[in-house]
Amino acid sequence: MAMFLPSGLTPDEVGFLCEAEEVTVIPRQRLEGLELLGGPTHALNPPFPTPLPLWLALLLKKQRRANISPPPWLSAEALTHILDFETDERTAEVLSPAPALPRATSTAPLEGDPYLSLDSLEFSAPFAKNAATSRAQQDALPYHWLELGHLLLTHASDDFDDPDTIRKLLRDLREVRMSKLRKGFKVLGPGAGIKMNGVGGMEIAEVRGFVEGMVNGLRKINRSREESRKEREAEDRENGLGSGSYQDDEDENML
Amino acid sequence: MAYYNPEAILTDAQKAPCTFELAVPGLAPLNNGSAIEHGTKLDLPLWMAEMLAVSKPAGPSSTSLASLDMPPALGPRVLNALSADPKSVELRAQAQWFYGLGERMLDLFDEEKMVELLIDMFSRQTFKQRALEIADKSQNTRTTQQGGDSGDFMGGLDETERQLFRAAHDGSNAVKRWFESSSRS
Repeated sequence: MAMFLPSGLTPDEVGFLCEAEEVTVIPRQRLEGLELLGGPTHALNPPFPTPLPLWLALLLKKQRRANISPPPWLSAEALTHILDFETDERTAEVLSPAPALPRATSTAPLEGDPYLSLDSLEFSAPFAKNAATSRAQQDALPYHWLELGHLLLTHASDDFDDPDTIRKLLRDLREVRMSKLRKGFKVLGPGAGIKMNGVGGMEIAEVRGFVEGMVNGLRKINRSREESRKEREAEDRENGLGSGSYQDDEDENML
Repeated sequence: MAYYNPEAILTDAQKAPCTFELAVPGLAPLNNGSAIEHGTKLDLPLWMAEMLAVSKPAGPSSTSLASLDMPPALGPRVLNALSADPKSVELRAQAQWFYGLGERMLDLFDEEKMVELLIDMFSRQTFKQRALEIADKSQNTRTTQQGGDSGDFMGGLDETERQLFRAAHDGSNAVKRWFESSSRS
């Protein structure tokens, strides 16, 4: 069937979702904690820095009730450091790593063990804590780095020391990483994949449509070969000649 | 392929040459009115050709009604051109749904494993190389709109490749649009 809705997230949706990340806000007015569906926000007591979701931070910034403090990785030195890592010829295959996850706090699920209770759940990107607060890791780009950087530079550029340099560094970083991703297209195949550790949300959204189409096309071309191979293996198994490998179970689960 | 899928329908509507093994007077309308004899060659759409080639009428001679040949779009000339330089072949001129056609022929030519493997390799090589070229072209929106020297390549893409181009182009366009829209609000 011709499905016109794109599968997966579009760039607009990724940009919307990044507004759920928390940033550190320096309030200028008092505000009580708001009772939101996802939980209460912290109360704002100037001049103490407080973490707030990005959408709320941007709203308060527009109303001049708060300033946003840029996360440590969104500074000129940190971005230059990451850009040097990316452009180093020894890392031509690899994107710069994402922030390290906090250590696991739960072990094997036993009876009565709070495996799925809220305080022992571990989150990974894009739900990792402290991706853009002042406690963020300085030398790693979190999942929503591009969107966050763009939104903060657009709406809170006066909170930065040097917004133009940072804008330029973000643009350079984006180009280097996209060109690395595109070089990885060469090894795509019906059974192969690219190693994308450290890729960001917007970058995935950009190449998603193309990669899907290409892998799908290669899969369709390979389809008749796959089917005849499976038929041959089924015949061999019936004749008792096959090796009966366990790999065939995986093949049947493949869509 | 899906029953309602327009791409599948159009792919199956492409023609392939068939040689009739028997005289079939009842199908004369296919041949512009003249009767069909043993050995008549006709270009029939794939869905009909497949039925005729696969079905075996009951009777003393149990050959199928017609034998199916490789369409010219997948002939040795095109295959050689593809192995020489995949990116310069105009697939659209050969068949609008080139890869679909190749796929269907691979289904039907089950016995000739060598032919199948050969075509398979070519499809993978050509598809991959052309897809990479499409990825490159989709970044440069200005030159593709002007036409220029990339007009030949773009005009020569078959339908699946066109969809691939649109997907790649839409991706980068959507990101650009998001950047602009978030700068305004």
